[in-house]
Amino acid sequence: MSTAADTRTPTKADLPASDDAVALTGLRKHFGIGERTVKAVDGIDLRIGRGEVVALLGPNGAGKTTTLDMLLGLTDPSAGTVAVYGQKPLKAAKGGVIAGVLQTGGLLSDLTVRETVEVIASLHGGESLARVHEILERTELDRIARRRISKCSGGEQQRVKFALALVADPDILVLDEPTAGMDVTARRHFWDVMRADADAGRTIIFATHYLEEAEQFARRTVVMHRGVVVADAPTAQLRANLGGRTLAADLPADGGDDLVRRLGQTDGITEIRVDAGRVSLRALDSDAAASALLDAGAHDLEIAAPTLETAFTALTED
Amino acid sequence: MSMTLSPTMLRVEALRQIRNPYTLAFTLGMPVAMYLLFGASMGYGDASAGNGNVKFYVMVSMAAYGTAVAMSSITSLAATEAKQGWGRQISMTPLTTAGYAMTKLATAVTFSAFAVLLVFVAGLATGAEATDAWRWWASAGIILGIGLMFGLYGLGVGLFFNSDTAAALASISMTFFAFFGNVFIPLDGVMLDIARFSPLYGFVALSRWPLTDGVLTTGQTDPLWGLALNTVAWLVIFSVLVAAGVKRSRSRR
Repeated sequence: MSTAADTRTPTKADLPASDDAVALTGLRKHFGIGERTVKAVDGIDLRIGRGEVVALLGPNGAGKTTTLDMLLGLTDPSAGTVAVYGQKPLKAAKGGVIAGVLQTGGLLSDLTVRETVEVIASLHGGESLARVHEILERTELDRIARRRISKCSGGEQQRVKFALALVADPDILVLDEPTAGMDVTARRHFWDVMRADADAGRTIIFATHYLEEAEQFARRTVVMHRGVVVADAPTAQLRANLGGRTLAADLPADGGDDLVRRLGQTDGITEIRVDAGRVSLRALDSDAAASALLDAGAHDLEIAAPTLETAFTALTED
Repeated sequence: MSMTLSPTMLRVEALRQIRNPYTLAFTLGMPVAMYLLFGASMGYGDASAGNGNVKFYVMVSMAAYGTAVAMSSITSLAATEAKQGWGRQISMTPLTTAGYAMTKLATAVTFSAFAVLLVFVAGLATGAEATDAWRWWASAGIILGIGLMFGLYGLGVGLFFNSDTAAALASISMTFFAFFGNVFIPLDGVMLDIARFSPLYGFVALSRWPLTDGVLTTGQTDPLWGLALNTVAWLVIFSVLVAAGVKRSRSRR
């Protein structure tokens, strides 16, 4: 796989030594004019190193798709720059350095699976065309290679788009909600294939609304909301830091009110609620909160690690 | 990125057209059927007409119609595809817009040539005659050369209308233009006066020129400049349609 990448296109051989696979600087994209302007992307600075696996997380309308479109050179930014190994993104895409799985459209319904992959591969050159068989096998499309696209399920079409992204053997893979329309088994299998790619050193940037996909797969998560980046950290750290842990315990018969008041004045403790003699709260330092509770005679203590969902909600709610 | 055309893509594009029932019916089936119906099987078919016979006249008309339909339907499909997700997919490959256009144009011209060939073979087999062999070649050449203008028409329709109906619209409107453009049935009087302004009139009359030297079935004669003017005027109108279509599809993004 690497030998092919070294010899095929001059653009790949000439990659600069820079560690930044992708550099977004002051990136903005506005649609419409005047009062109706929609600021889809409103100032993003982001650097992604070679070999990183990054999840782009955000609610609908956060600007994820627009950002990825600009990264692939399909949309021109209103302001700011996009550099893919120092190149213009569309040039990098045409040179096979970066490839993407698009969310919208993309396929011709009257072609068969094999024809679709062959056409795109042939445009990238002979080496890509020679790789078609192997890619159909890897994406498990070989069994339905003769099926028309119109007869494929949503998940199968998604796999075809994935195969199209792989034909050029790109260094950077951009995926816009790649598992949309796949069932649970297909999703798991998809990420197994991706994991092998990531381990082989491919840079992977994906947008998702499945929080567990970011949690399980991305070492780094970038949270977007209303066109800006609201958090950018290692996924595990994002979970731990921003979410805190949730604690719950039965209050002691004596001094319960006093304990609750004291906890309420402690830094890093939020969302204190008392319900039928049981207190629940969120604490950044769960050890300190737990010992304070136990020292005061609280019992039946429970500590729950946060999910990315709680972190996500905390970050994106107004 | 020196490569502009991909043999794989040309092969798949040709296969798509062969599998497409619209293309088969309108571009390949219908012109031959119309020729057999209005040319070969009619009693007047062997009557002399200009430098040949009536069968030759009908054969050239139907071949020209088939070309106009093939050019416009294939290019309108190309335009709608390019606007949709497939265009985005293609734009991420080394294929340039010019390369994409050339591929589609090559497909359209191939199918037009095929449509002409089928009708001419039918003509040859059923007794279409011209006084000289070069008149066959001249007619075919004029059909395929000037027929390119309907590629612009299809492109404009495809860019202007945003759905898959664009291709059907392009072919069906061609059939309409053929009826009112003195192509299928010889017109007379007011109908003929109106027909002179329709888009297929100049093209088909020029295609018949090697046979008729401009003489109509009514006995009137069309001047060459009149037919050229019709062709150029519609060429300009189609170009404006394409420009408007490009503008419209850009603003939709």
